[in-house]
Parts: sequence; structure tokens; C-alpha cells
Amino acid sequence: MSAPIIWVLIPFATGVLILFLLGERISPLIAGAVAASLAVVALILPIDTAMLLGTISVKIAPSIQFFGRTFALNTADRPLLAIIYGLAALWFFGTQASGTAHRFVSLGLMIVSLLTASIAVEPFLFAALLLNMAAMLVIPLLVPLYQRPGRGIIRFLIYQTLAMPFILFSGWMLAGVEASPGNIGSTAQAGVMLGLGFAFLLAVFPLYSWIPMLTEEASPYATGFLLWALPMFTAVFALGFLDRYAWLRESPQFSNAIRFAGALMAASGGIFASQQKHIGRIMGYASIVETGLVVLALGLASTEVVNIVFLLLVPRGLELAVWSLALSIIKRKAYSLQFSEIQGMARSHPAAAAGIILAHLSMAGFPLLAGFPPRTALWQELAGQSLATSFWAFLGLIGLLIAAFRTLAVFVMAEENKAWELNESWTQRVMLGLGALGLFVLGIFPQALQPFIASLPALFSRLSQ
Amino acid sequence: MLILISCFLLFAGAFALIVVNAVQPNARYSWLVAVGSAILALASVLIWLATMPFDLVLPAWQPQTLFANPILFRADGFSWPLALSITGLVLSVLLTAVARSAIANSYTWAGTLALGGFGLLAVTAYNPFTLLLIWCALDLTELVTQLRSVEGPSNNEKVVISISTRALGSFILLWANIVSIAQGSAFDFQYIAPASGLYFVVAAGLRLGVLPLHLPYSAESIVRRGFGTSLRLISAASSLTLLAHVPSGSLSSVFTPYLTTLSIIAALYGCWMWLRAPDELTGRPYWVIGLAAFSVVAALGGNPLGAVAWGCALVLTGGVLFLASVQHAWLNRVLLAGAWSLSSLPFSLTASAWIGNLGFFIPFVIAAQSLLIAGYIRHTIRPSGRDSLDSQETWASKVYPAGIILPVALQFLLGWVGWDGARQIGAWLQAIIASTLTVGLVWATPRFRIFNPVRGNWARPAAPERGSVYNSIWGLNRGFGQIVRAVTDTLEGEGGVMWTLLFMILFISLMAQGTP
Repeated sequence: MSAPIIWVLIPFATGVLILFLLGERISPLIAGAVAASLAVVALILPIDTAMLLGTISVKIAPSIQFFGRTFALNTADRPLLAIIYGLAALWFFGTQASGTAHRFVSLGLMIVSLLTASIAVEPFLFAALLLNMAAMLVIPLLVPLYQRPGRGIIRFLIYQTLAMPFILFSGWMLAGVEASPGNIGSTAQAGVMLGLGFAFLLAVFPLYSWIPMLTEEASPYATGFLLWALPMFTAVFALGFLDRYAWLRESPQFSNAIRFAGALMAASGGIFASQQKHIGRIMGYASIVETGLVVLALGLASTEVVNIVFLLLVPRGLELAVWSLALSIIKRKAYSLQFSEIQGMARSHPAAAAGIILAHLSMAGFPLLAGFPPRTALWQELAGQSLATSFWAFLGLIGLLIAAFRTLAVFVMAEENKAWELNESWTQRVMLGLGALGLFVLGIFPQALQPFIASLPALFSRLSQ
Repeated sequence: MLILISCFLLFAGAFALIVVNAVQPNARYSWLVAVGSAILALASVLIWLATMPFDLVLPAWQPQTLFANPILFRADGFSWPLALSITGLVLSVLLTAVARSAIANSYTWAGTLALGGFGLLAVTAYNPFTLLLIWCALDLTELVTQLRSVEGPSNNEKVVISISTRALGSFILLWANIVSIAQGSAFDFQYIAPASGLYFVVAAGLRLGVLPLHLPYSAESIVRRGFGTSLRLISAASSLTLLAHVPSGSLSSVFTPYLTTLSIIAALYGCWMWLRAPDELTGRPYWVIGLAAFSVVAALGGNPLGAVAWGCALVLTGGVLFLASVQHAWLNRVLLAGAWSLSSLPFSLTASAWIGNLGFFIPFVIAAQSLLIAGYIRHTIRPSGRDSLDSQETWASKVYPAGIILPVALQFLLGWVGWDGARQIGAWLQAIIASTLTVGLVWATPRFRIFNPVRGNWARPAAPERGSVYNSIWGLNRGFGQIVRAVTDTLEGEGGVMWTLLFMILFISLMAQGTP
């Protein structure tokens, strides 16, 4: 048995089986249990080390060959795998409460396994192909059967597909740059190609227009999953690039460009969010701000880059899960997610409204919530390097805060004498309650993440030196 | 450790009340549990005096390379008077609860105790990071409490607006952190960069409704006398504590006179409205604004002791007046002692209030202070609207006066012991002028129409000119929203892909200019 089979092939095959064999009710439990088991296995079983199970010696091999390519997952990858599958389990367990179609869990498992494969593949440039394949699988997740895809989905596909040639082409050029590092012309060209590729993948300004369109037209839960999964793996892919190419991480121009793009994303996303009147679109803009902060962290000239990036990425999964689950609940009751349709719904659906507000405040960096510690860590490093960039990112968070309070005002503006009542189901209440509890726990005790995050810098050893 | 014990006593009391109420609703000993924990907490805060200063450091967040500031609390000459005021207020709220006709139950007493616990944590917070966490805990508590108690779209909206301005204040404090880090300083009250100091004032001012002038608690009329008083005053005291830590180096900024001017305007407005308020509960938001503005002015004048003194007066002097729900001749005379605490005469609670450098602003401060004291006296001797002490049960008529006398006694105590602001002569000449003016105002109030009370109108608390300012801001926001919509429509429209590619080319061109 090898590690890629456990963490890539098994979940992919499970996803296929669930799609064709299992029913609506049991599939979220099976998918969630498989993902949670994979997370636990990643935590407890060493890779490439022999273990004695009674009289039998078992060893998980770190790699396999597939069509001439190597897929390798080492001991250092275990915390990352635990985070990925732990968060995926959270999403899958929440599927039933969100009322999303059962193919979400099957396609979701396949997407996560493909994205995990993107971490494992060698040469690592092939990750771009796997990311693109995962993006393709997202389409049936977002478009209901027998319906035409909306403009947001088409634009998403266009941009994700455009990213791939840029990344592959830059990879080819980077090989030349490594051979002759003094050639400034080819270095700059490779940098621009790479930058464009990641601009499309991470949806930097102004390439993020598909995100609010998608959150408006597609299922909130499936969109939330996409907004968690793709940027997370893309960020890991980007960390790999920075770790591998010294000239990339040591170039002040490249760092400045990354920071500029991140600040622009965060500021514009926050400002646009503050003016929206559709709570789905607001979630889209909030995820843009969050990705902007991750991009900012990638551009830091610091040995703490890996720590900060993962401090940002882990709570993001929880925030988006809570937010999109609550949005799904609201969407099933309201005609649309426009402010005019949801006014006063805090009294009829308090758990869902609280979930949306807490997740939103967390993404705005409100103290006591999960998003606050990573932002504090980011300011600690960023403010020393550029106060102007910090200001723009901070402005984005203020925009998100304004959007959160506008949403809250709309939710609580119920007519006179409307009683408080809990109309959410027990499953929904439990899932939202656990999610909200998680937001507070990560906000007050961020050290709870340390067992997972502490050893991650070892994955990107040159970045952390 | 003592800080933890005091807070634990309050939180444990609150928890016990909730459990008792769940297990045995209407238990007769609930009140005793509440009062018992409040008495113990007050006693424990008095014990702080024996070992002050001391710290309470909680384990730092990990990784420590990224989270430099631990969660730190300190009991010292600045935090102790505020801590004593808060625990005194909590006990007073519970003691006077016996005479209130309004529905009081274990949950409101539990809420009062919990608020007291948060208040203690806020005033002892010894770095802005810790204070930020406690502020937000208080804000969330208040948000939930308020939303559960108000009705109608307009009142709900006001609750959200009030919380959002306070959250904005918290974010300004966060920005002060960022500026401090950018200047290479720690985010610590002792070593913070001077450039961050004015942000402290703005953050506190925004949370208190002073900078810019606004009423953060406009849905006031719905909140009850007991819990409402603790909510308002503890929350204000938790914001004022920041003013005691403004670094003196930051006060030489060119913005200081402007901020002082704005604070003086807020003080004059708040005190004038307080004087003319029809009753003390209607005037409570103006009381908070007036005293908070004094606190800000003292801090801007380089006098952190003055900021603390006004904070204690806000809690104790205001608290006792707002809790007095029963009419009794000699208790009214006891209440009048609060005027002494507000006078800044030597050895009073606020004797240290004006020892800073106020210069040109002194006459305005004196005018505002005399308005405030005159208003206090007017509300104290106002005859109508209260029950009689004789109509209470025997035990209640014994306990209730203790709840009134306690805060008054604490005001006198703080004038004499326990902190650097005690036993001060202060700016005695200024105090005498303010007191003389107060006597004149008290004489003039029933005789001149201009001093007559105005009707409380909670739907429109703002003055007309402020309405136009807010309308202008709203208009600007609408215009800005139209621009944002135009941009998003362009990017998401049919030609969106072409526009985005054009932006990308521009972006690359700009970046390319920066490369060698």
C-alpha cells in the first residue's frame, strides 16, 4: 500500500462509488466518515516507516508511478493531509443539513482527491493540469441537471483554463532561468507568465468577477466548497514555486508585485462587499478579501510565510462552511438572497442568521473569532514591511465589517411583535452550533491548530529559512 | 491571581444563578447567591490594595514569533479605582433590585454579574490586544441582550448602528497596533509608538459617542433601570480605561487641539442635554457622553488620572442616581453628595480631573462641568415619578438604602485612598468657579424657560444640524455605491472578459516599469 493510493485513489474511487451506488441520505455520512478516517490515518500512521501489527509488518510506501509521473506523499505531508481531509469531512457532514444534492459529496471527494494529487505529483508543474481537472469536475457540482450553466460558471471555466498554459509555459521558461540565472530578460518573462497563471488561478483583481456571479447564481454550499478548495490548493502550489525557485522568493520586484496584487484584491473586495445588497455576493467578495490576504502573505519577505499562510487557510475552511451552510438554509426559505427578501429573518431562523453573521465577522477579522489570530499574525509581519499595503488590506476588512453590520441590520429588522422561533432542523442547529463553537475556539485558542501547523514549514524548508 | 479570583467570583455567581434558575425556577435564595458573590467580589477587589501592583499573564498564543503580545492584566493605581467602581456598581444594582417594580429575575442578575466580570477584565487589561478581546466580548454580549429586548425595525436597526460604531472603535485600536508595529514599537501600553496614541483617543471616543458626537445607545428607553444601568456604565468604563494609557508623547500632535475642540463640543452638548432631560433615565446617554467627553479632554490634556477620575464618577455617581427608584428624603440628601464628587474640589473623587494642561479650553470645560453638576442636582431633587420607601417590605426598606449608600461611600473612599488621584488638591480655583456657576444654574433652572426640560424623543435623538451631517454622509455613500455598481456591472457584463484583460495588461505594464 502506498500513500498516494490511500489519500488519492481511495477517496476518488469512493466518490465514484457514491455517485453510482448510494442514496441521498447515507452518502454524506459515508463521504464524511471516509474523509474523517483519512484525516485520522494521516495523523497517526507514519509514511515510509515499518509498523508491527501483531506479527505482520506494514509499511506505507511514499510514492507510486503513474503514466511515467511520480506521485509522492511523505511524512512531512501528513499534517497537511490531516487538515485537508479534516476540513473536507466537515463539508461532507454538513451536506445533508444544507439540502445540497448527493452528488456534491461524490464529486467533492473526487475533487479533493485530485487536488491532493496536485500536491503529490512530480514534476510539480503537472499540478496545474490536476488543478484544471478539478476545476472541470466543479462544473457538474455547480450546474443542476438539465440546466444551462450560468455566465459565472462559464467565466470561471474560461479563467481556470487560461491559467494552465501560462503556468506550464512559465515552467518551461523557468528551467531556462535556472540554467542561466543572469539572463534578466528571460527571468522577467518567466515571472510575468507565472504571475499571469496565478492571477487567473487565484482570481486576483480584476479576474475575480466570476466569484460574485457564481455566488449569486449557483448553490451557496457548492460554491462555498469551491471557494475553499481551489484557493487552498493553489496557495500550496504557489508556496511550492516560491520554495523551489530562489530568484522568485528573493526578488523584491516580485514580492512587491505579489503584495500589490494582494492588497488590491483585499481592498477592492472589501469595498465592493460594503455596497452589496445580496448576501450570497457578499460571501463571494469576502472570500476574495480572504484570498487577497493569502496573496499578501505569500509576498512577505519573512521566514514566517508558511505559518501565516496556513493560519489563514485553516479557519477559512470553517468560516466558509458555516457561512454557506447558513446561506443554504436561508435560501430554501427566502425567494432570493437579496436584502429585500431576507429582512427580519433573524427572528424566524436565528441559528442560520447567527451563523452567517459570525462567519462574516470572522472573515472581517473581528476579535474572538477564528479569523482574528491569522490577521494579527499577518499585521505583525506586514506592518513592518509596508504600512501603505497594510492600510489597503485593513480598508478591505473595514469594508467587510460594514457589510456584516448591514447584513445584521437587515436580518434583525423584523416587524413589531414578531416572536423569536427556531425553524431550523435539529441537524442544522447542531452543525451550525458546532461551526460557531469552532469559530470561537479558533479565535480564542488559536494554539489548538499548532499540532497541525507546527511541522508544515518543513514542507517548504527553503521558504522557512 | 487576585484579578482572576475577583472575576471568578462574579462569573461563578452568574453561572450559579443560571443553574439555580434552570433547576429550581423562582428559588427564593437566588438573590442571596447574587448578592453574596457580588459582596465577595467587592471584598476581593479591596484586598488588591495590599499587593498592588500585580499582573495576571495568560499563556501566549502560538507560534510566539507571530503573537508577541500575551493576554495580560494588571491591577495598579489606574485600574483599581475603576475595578472598585464596577464591583461597587454591581453590588448596588443587586441591593437596589429589591425595590424595583419592574420584572427582575435571576437571568438579569446573572447578566449583571457577568457584565461586572467582563468590566473587571476590561479595566485591568494591560495591553491594547487584551483590551480589544474584552471589548469585543462585551459588544457581543450587549448585542445579544439588546436584540432580545427591543421590538420593531427602527429600534433593531439602532441597536446594530450603536454596536457597529463601537466595533469601528475597536478596529481603530487595531489600526493603532498596526501603526505601532510599523514604527518598530511593541503593542504595549508602556512602549507603544507615540503615533498610535491619538488613535487610542479616537477609538475610545468613537466607542463612547464623543468623536464624532453621536448617541451610541439610542434604544435606551427600552432597557430596564437595573440591568440597563450596569450595561451602559460598565460598557462606558471599559472604553474609558484606554484613555488612562495614552502615551504622553503622542499629545504633541497637530491634531490634538482639533480633537480637544470636538471633545469640548461633545461635553457641552452632552451636559446641556443632561441638564434639560425630563428625567435621569432619559438623560442617561447624555450623562455618558458628557462624562466621557471630560475623560477624553483630560487625556488629551496629558492627565490620565483625570480620565480615570471621570470614569469612576461616571460609574459611581451616575450609577447611584440611575438606580434610585424610591423616594425618600434623607436618601435624596445622600444622593446629593454626588455633586461633591463631580465638583473637582480638593479631596473629592474628581480632584485630579483638571490638573493637566487645558490652556484656552478651561472656560468651556468649566461651563460644561457646571451644567453637568446642575443637571445632577436637578435630577436628584426631582420629586415625581418614584415609589415611596415606606411602601416597600420591611427587609427591602432595610436593604435598599445600603444599595444607595454604598456607591456614595465608595466615591468618598476614592477621594482619599488607593490610587494616585486620591488626596489631591487639584485645580481648586477652577473647581470653585465651576461650583459657583452650578449654584447659579440651580437657582436659574426653575426660573428661566431655556433651562426647562425638553421632551425625551428617542426616535430622533440627534440635533437638526447633526441630521444634515448624517444625511450628507448617507448621500456620499449612495454616490459611492453607484460608482461601485458601475464598476461591478462593467466587469460582470458581456464585455467583462475584455475589460479584465485590459486591466491585466495595464497591471503588467505598471509592474514591468518597476523591473530592471
